[in-house]
Amino acid sequence: MLSGKIAVITGAAGGIGRACLDLFCENRAEVYAFVREERPDLTEHISQLTAQGAAVHVIECDIGSEASIKEAVRALTKNTKTVDILVNNAGMVLEYTPYQMTPIDKIRRVFEVNFFGQTVLTQYIARMMSRNKSGSIVNVSSVSAILGSPGNFEYASSKAAMIGSTKESAIELGEYGIRVNAVAPGITKTKMVDENMVEQIHENTLNHCIMKRDAEPREIANAILFLASDMSSFVTGQVLRVDGGLY
Amino acid sequence: MSNLEIYNNAFKEAFGVEEGALAGLEYQAIPEWDSVGHMNLVAALEDGFDIMMETDDIIDFSSYEKGKEILAKYEVTV
Repeated sequence: MLSGKIAVITGAAGGIGRACLDLFCENRAEVYAFVREERPDLTEHISQLTAQGAAVHVIECDIGSEASIKEAVRALTKNTKTVDILVNNAGMVLEYTPYQMTPIDKIRRVFEVNFFGQTVLTQYIARMMSRNKSGSIVNVSSVSAILGSPGNFEYASSKAAMIGSTKESAIELGEYGIRVNAVAPGITKTKMVDENMVEQIHENTLNHCIMKRDAEPREIANAILFLASDMSSFVTGQVLRVDGGLY
Repeated sequence: MSNLEIYNNAFKEAFGVEEGALAGLEYQAIPEWDSVGHMNLVAALEDGFDIMMETDDIIDFSSYEKGKEILAKYEVTV
């Protein structure tokens, strides 16, 4: 499905990002995996992918640092002048904190990664896409941006900002043939969720989920693949909820 | 091709103007140099000089003359 396409995936080391890495490789994309730092388990995993014929390049990039993003883009442009797909998946969530006890510097820190950093990177990548007058950007938002999420004000707000960014940039980048969409995952089995989700909130959420379970990262990656690929060629400015029917 | 020729060609291709119209040309002074035209110009310059411009420089790129100053930051002498 992605044969001949060049994809950049941020936060590709684990969770949804790694699931995207695997799925995109299976679909024959050439993938630039942006990760905060290389780790032995990731290196091993990529070795397995390349042994199966996948084309994967790892670029270290701290999405919370504009300087790091610029360096990463320079490293990217040494290898390719065009990009077809960008998956803005990198994100962070902090521990449960009630809204009225959430300090502003905590909010800023999360926004730096979840929104500002993604925006800076997208501006660079969109310019590369505009050379071919085509491209697909998929932003990983969250259903918490739509329904709210107790104790995660900064996370839900930053993901809501990504939805606004998706709709706005879809309008402006459409002139260059670039589609921009978002996925809004529900609770997904990832290390980030395992380490930060309060059990009571988890249970309450599942009680309001038609499918009564967490998503597998692969299920979110499947939706991202659809939006990244030409199968969604007439879809832009949309937010696809992948949440098992949360209500 | 000289750097000046590459620079001028980027403007001529992006905006469809003649060489004589380049001196003093400013952003939004002609309909073709709108935000879309601006990004097309940037893409042409980046390709022509094999550089990647920073967003702040793209914003500051307000005229034909200013562009030359900005490119000097990328070690391109026009």
